[in-house]
Amino acid sequence: MADFFLQALGLVSSPAVLALIVIGVLFGIIGGSIPGFTVTMAILVVFPFTFAMDPVSGVSLMVGVFVGGYSGGIVSGVMLGIPGTPSSITTVYDGYPMAQNGEPGRALGIGVAASFIGTLISVAVLVFFGPLIASFSMNFRPWEITALIVFALTLVAGLSSGALLKGLLAAVLGLLITTVGYDRNSNLRFDFGVPALGSGFEILPVMIGIFAFSQLMGNLEKLRDEQGKIKGVDTSVTIPYRRILKDMAGQKLNTLRSSLIGSLVGALPGTGGTVANFISYDQAKKFSKHPETFGKGTPSGIVASEASNSAVAGGAFVPTLALGIPGDLPMAIMMGVLILHGITPGPLMFEQNPVLVGAIYASLLIGAVVMVLCQLLLVRWFAKISLIPQEVLVPVVLMLCAIGSYALNNNLFDIWVLFVFGVIGYLLWKAGVPLTPLILGVVLGNNLERQLFRALELDDSWMTFLTRPLSALFLALALASVIFSLYQDRKIQQNQLRAKNLPEQ
Amino acid sequence: MLTLTKDRALALVLLLIVAVMWIESGNIRPATSWQPYGSALFPRILLVVTGLLSLLVLFRSLLAGAPARTLARRSFGEWLAHNRKVFSLFALFGLYAALLPMVGYIIATLAFLVTSLGLLLGIDSRRKWIINLAVSFTLVPLVFVIFRYGLNVWLP
Repeated sequence: MADFFLQALGLVSSPAVLALIVIGVLFGIIGGSIPGFTVTMAILVVFPFTFAMDPVSGVSLMVGVFVGGYSGGIVSGVMLGIPGTPSSITTVYDGYPMAQNGEPGRALGIGVAASFIGTLISVAVLVFFGPLIASFSMNFRPWEITALIVFALTLVAGLSSGALLKGLLAAVLGLLITTVGYDRNSNLRFDFGVPALGSGFEILPVMIGIFAFSQLMGNLEKLRDEQGKIKGVDTSVTIPYRRILKDMAGQKLNTLRSSLIGSLVGALPGTGGTVANFISYDQAKKFSKHPETFGKGTPSGIVASEASNSAVAGGAFVPTLALGIPGDLPMAIMMGVLILHGITPGPLMFEQNPVLVGAIYASLLIGAVVMVLCQLLLVRWFAKISLIPQEVLVPVVLMLCAIGSYALNNNLFDIWVLFVFGVIGYLLWKAGVPLTPLILGVVLGNNLERQLFRALELDDSWMTFLTRPLSALFLALALASVIFSLYQDRKIQQNQLRAKNLPEQ
Repeated sequence: MLTLTKDRALALVLLLIVAVMWIESGNIRPATSWQPYGSALFPRILLVVTGLLSLLVLFRSLLAGAPARTLARRSFGEWLAHNRKVFSLFALFGLYAALLPMVGYIIATLAFLVTSLGLLLGIDSRRKWIINLAVSFTLVPLVFVIFRYGLNVWLP
């Protein structure tokens, strides 16, 4: 492994790839720092630029965006009191009060340092557990892979904030989208007489359409409802380096705990930075000797939030690379990048493309260093950029999405696919349907069908899915996740009902 | 009278889609001796699951009853006016997609950016016009150069 890592480090250290990582980190920070833009959107916008690149360059650029994006949320969180990405919500709890107390530089510095350490720890987790899980999953046959995909989809659907039925519906709709066009036996399905549908839908325009349109239009609606709430902000920030070093020295355990929580949560399908953020903040508060200081500008709160959301980066790569199952939206897109470059993520990737795996490790490490330098040197500029109004951003991002979709195959039909799925995504979002399971369904659909029928071709009994221990375990876990989500949904409904009835009593 | 809530509309539309796709799945080549499961089996499994889940959403919504209105009912015109910007932007994007093959990337993109920025930013001050034109006339050639010369992608 060390040989491959050194070889990958050599590739990633070339000036061209280093420049791409710097660009990726800068764009990620900018994307993460603009409220409502999110890491996912930043990744989607950069994705088309990787088409013409070799795999190492493309993946390094995307990893740069990933690392920068997760740390970017701190800028708007501290300066504006608005989280740039959902994964930095709890950063606002203490970062903003600290900035309001006249110490924005200290808040930003603590956040950046925690992000850096969080990323490093998560890379260590990835380096250690990635190959272990990959080598274990080498024993998986089609039955296990089918059951694992079903489990991942039910888990993601179940975590869709009290909307299990709609989450499951979204996942199945995502799978259904992949059945359009020629199948594995070269039989045509659901072309409705339109020749362009014969080749099916490309993943990229479908993903961008579903996610970007709903997100951007949602931002516009939010803007309409909250007009004039964002005021001007003082962007003159000085970073007190010594003070930050002293602060961080007192946060060793908190940083380690939060980073491990972030890595673990990142590795679970359907969770991501937002969940990690809340869990580690809650744990930091529970373990703190002064829980009453949380929410008033304590360094512990910022460290817990930023270390955990940045640690998600490395953790999320574990299931994507080792099992070929992305845990969240950014990882689903990252998987798209790999597939586009002819690489199938999964257990074999560690054997067949060890240099690329090493390049991901190296890019994460270099990206973390670049992120610290960029954040500390350019924080004033990021604070200014975070004020770019949505009215300017939305048309520009829509234009980039259109050109990106076209550039995939130089095919104008893909822009129509983007548009149609944009409308569908927006309508589903308005109907309260979670979009993450839908996108995961689109990403995993072809593999699920392939594995399911490979299993049935090897043994025509459906019962084999239940007689093979691991396959049965994954299916049992899928069922358990559905039952648990139903229980959670019911509990939420009861609480809402209780809250509604309370004033009347 | 039953109110058409979001959940009911969602379930009904999905049931309609399931019905249409089920009929269309009849046109898929049937199973043969060397393809014993056929190509229609997987989508049909998914269609059954989608149909069942849609029915569950519909029944749950009917059992729960229509939610109480928190806002005064809007007329269709008021609703359209309220969402004017979002709908206009969708329409502009559709127009952009249609114009791209006809007039090419530069003119179509400039037209899309200038009109959509005008729609969202407003056109009532000189400053807004300057921002609009500066963003449009900087980005369009920049993206063209990056794709054409940096990434070797021919834009329409």
